Amino acid sequence: MPLLKIDSLEIEVEKGTTVLQAAMVNGIEIPYYCYHPALEIVGSCRMCLVEVEGMPKLQVSCNTFVGEAPPERKIEGKYDMVVNTHNDLVIQERKNVLEFLLLNHPLDCPVCDQAGECYLQDYSFKFGNAHSRFDEDKRVRPNEYLGSQIVINHNRCILCSRCIRFTREISGTSELFVEARGNKSKIAALEDKPLDNLLAGNVADICPVGALLSTDYIHKNRIWNLKKQPSVCQDCSVGCNVDVFYQKDKILRLTPRENHDVNGYFMCDIGRYGFHRFEDLDRITTPMARSNGSFSAVSWDEAIRKTADKLGDEGAKIAGIVSPFHTNETNFMLGQIINGPTGTLPQMNDEEIIYQSGFRISNDRSPNRRGMSDVCPALLEDLVSEIDNQDVRMIYVLDDGIDREIDDVWKKILAKMDFVVVQTYAMTTLAQSANIILPGPAPYEREGTITNDGGRVQWLRPSLPMKGESRADWEILMMVMKALDKDAQDFTDIGQVMKDMGEKFPAYDGLSFFRLGPHGMSLNGRANG
Amino acid sequence: MSNKDIHEDSFQYTDSDKVEKIFSQYPDKRSATLPLLHLAQTQGGYITSAIINTVAKLTEIHPAEVMDCVSFYTMFYSRQQGTYKLQVCQTLSCSLNGADDIVDHITQKYGTQPGETTSDGKFTLLKVECLGSCGTAPVIQINDDYHEGLSIKELDILLDSIP
Repeated sequence: MPLLKIDSLEIEVEKGTTVLQAAMVNGIEIPYYCYHPALEIVGSCRMCLVEVEGMPKLQVSCNTFVGEAPPERKIEGKYDMVVNTHNDLVIQERKNVLEFLLLNHPLDCPVCDQAGECYLQDYSFKFGNAHSRFDEDKRVRPNEYLGSQIVINHNRCILCSRCIRFTREISGTSELFVEARGNKSKIAALEDKPLDNLLAGNVADICPVGALLSTDYIHKNRIWNLKKQPSVCQDCSVGCNVDVFYQKDKILRLTPRENHDVNGYFMCDIGRYGFHRFEDLDRITTPMARSNGSFSAVSWDEAIRKTADKLGDEGAKIAGIVSPFHTNETNFMLGQIINGPTGTLPQMNDEEIIYQSGFRISNDRSPNRRGMSDVCPALLEDLVSEIDNQDVRMIYVLDDGIDREIDDVWKKILAKMDFVVVQTYAMTTLAQSANIILPGPAPYEREGTITNDGGRVQWLRPSLPMKGESRADWEILMMVMKALDKDAQDFTDIGQVMKDMGEKFPAYDGLSFFRLGPHGMSLNGRANG
Repeated sequence: MSNKDIHEDSFQYTDSDKVEKIFSQYPDKRSATLPLLHLAQTQGGYITSAIINTVAKLTEIHPAEVMDCVSFYTMFYSRQQGTYKLQVCQTLSCSLNGADDIVDHITQKYGTQPGETTSDGKFTLLKVECLGSCGTAPVIQINDDYHEGLSIKELDILLDSIP
């Protein structure tokens, strides 16, 4: 392998590695704008210039590959390449490049949404000059919409072309291009084909400066006010890794989190803007019981007692409905309580979309169908006729949530029931048919594990606090379990539920949040319970 | 070419042999983008969105990539030009030798600003960068032909002789 010397560091690297990559993995910082690991290399920003010994001029490190030199041409008799990233020449060059990039860039950081996570800001501070020698007027252009959700501030743009390469290589839709050239050039979209694909939101993420902005987040908040929670998207069964940015009990935005086993660097707009569905919901925050056709709030003790009284009847037949929208732990616990027929509501299908880069949006817009079937192995295909056959009169439902629509068949079944318990977070159609409503967390408040359709178990971390008196789903089910059977196991936290689940289902054996970590764990190759 | 041949919503090459010949000269289809655009502009006078879509389809690239290319080059026009394009060189030698006077003179003579076309559609006045004939400055290129070292008087004679 070629021996590379970067500054004072000697490293052996694979042939064909770029200098930038070699520096990055070895902790040497080289600033860059146009380079993105998922996109083609163009070397247009010139920010990553370094000195390569033996080459007449500075080289762009993102596009300089390390190769093997013949023995007689090795530097100092052993190095295939010697790179300086911090000598005076490189430092001066960085100042110059930044001065050029900032020629027309406005000093509007105080009102720019990128401030705080802006590479231009960071590198100017670290590598740049405090002053510009540019005396002319800056070129000023109005903002434009590139698509319905993306707005471009041309003044801030440094023309790194990441967004263009994204539409050409990742989404394959190719809406963007550089219009004109030189001082007049700018990012544009054709009038009859705006940037309106379902991956469009990503261009705002990969923009290294504040030029491309999502209309959903623009001027909403400052990035340093927000807390960032790594989590998993719950809008389809791919399970893209996301960062949830929130303040108090409000989510401001979602951005994709890198995970090469799931979503790479990107996410789709369905998931990105999906959290708005759960805002301003008419939430159920206390347990409710129905008497004489109307609901009234009751205490947890009363709600659980009422539930247990009915479910604990000698010879009572209870059906259970588990949900692909709930975590593995919740579904597992309901599976343990219910001894009657168990099933789930019909799948709500949507269009499957696969992009040029292989990025996929699943047709199954529930996050945990795989996990649900793993931990509830006795799911019935045809719960409807089984309920009829066995004349089941009681049902315990984990509600899918606000997206669930109930067909007439199910409406009839629910109307026939003597006793319906619904564990939910909002007054859905299902909740309206309940006798007892037990309030649980909404998406982004839930904690537990979910399994995506590729068999990867991921840690779903809660970003928002639970509302009112609502309690974690596993806790509610444990209370019901304890009320039914005083000797039932006590869980003090969700980790213990996971442990218990692992004992019953070997595929999930030994799982813990520690082992799952930020990127989850694949079930493939594990024994399936 | 008269502008009556152009229909915004559709475009077709009249000389399909030429199109095939262009394709035969390149290893892949997208390389033919520029010559195809030139051919289309010769046929239609300027580049319409219909031309962009047609070229994109033929070269199997996206219309935005064709537009990228069209907008980069100054010799692709986005609107109808006059029958005669008066392209006055603006770069150093010509500028020193009176290119500005030539522009002013044409502006006065026909009442057109640079970039504009006369109302009868005969002339379009364009300021262009170096035509590479600095030794014979000032240079004016009328369509594809150079006319070099012109005084204002000679320019007048030249322009008046255009039918």
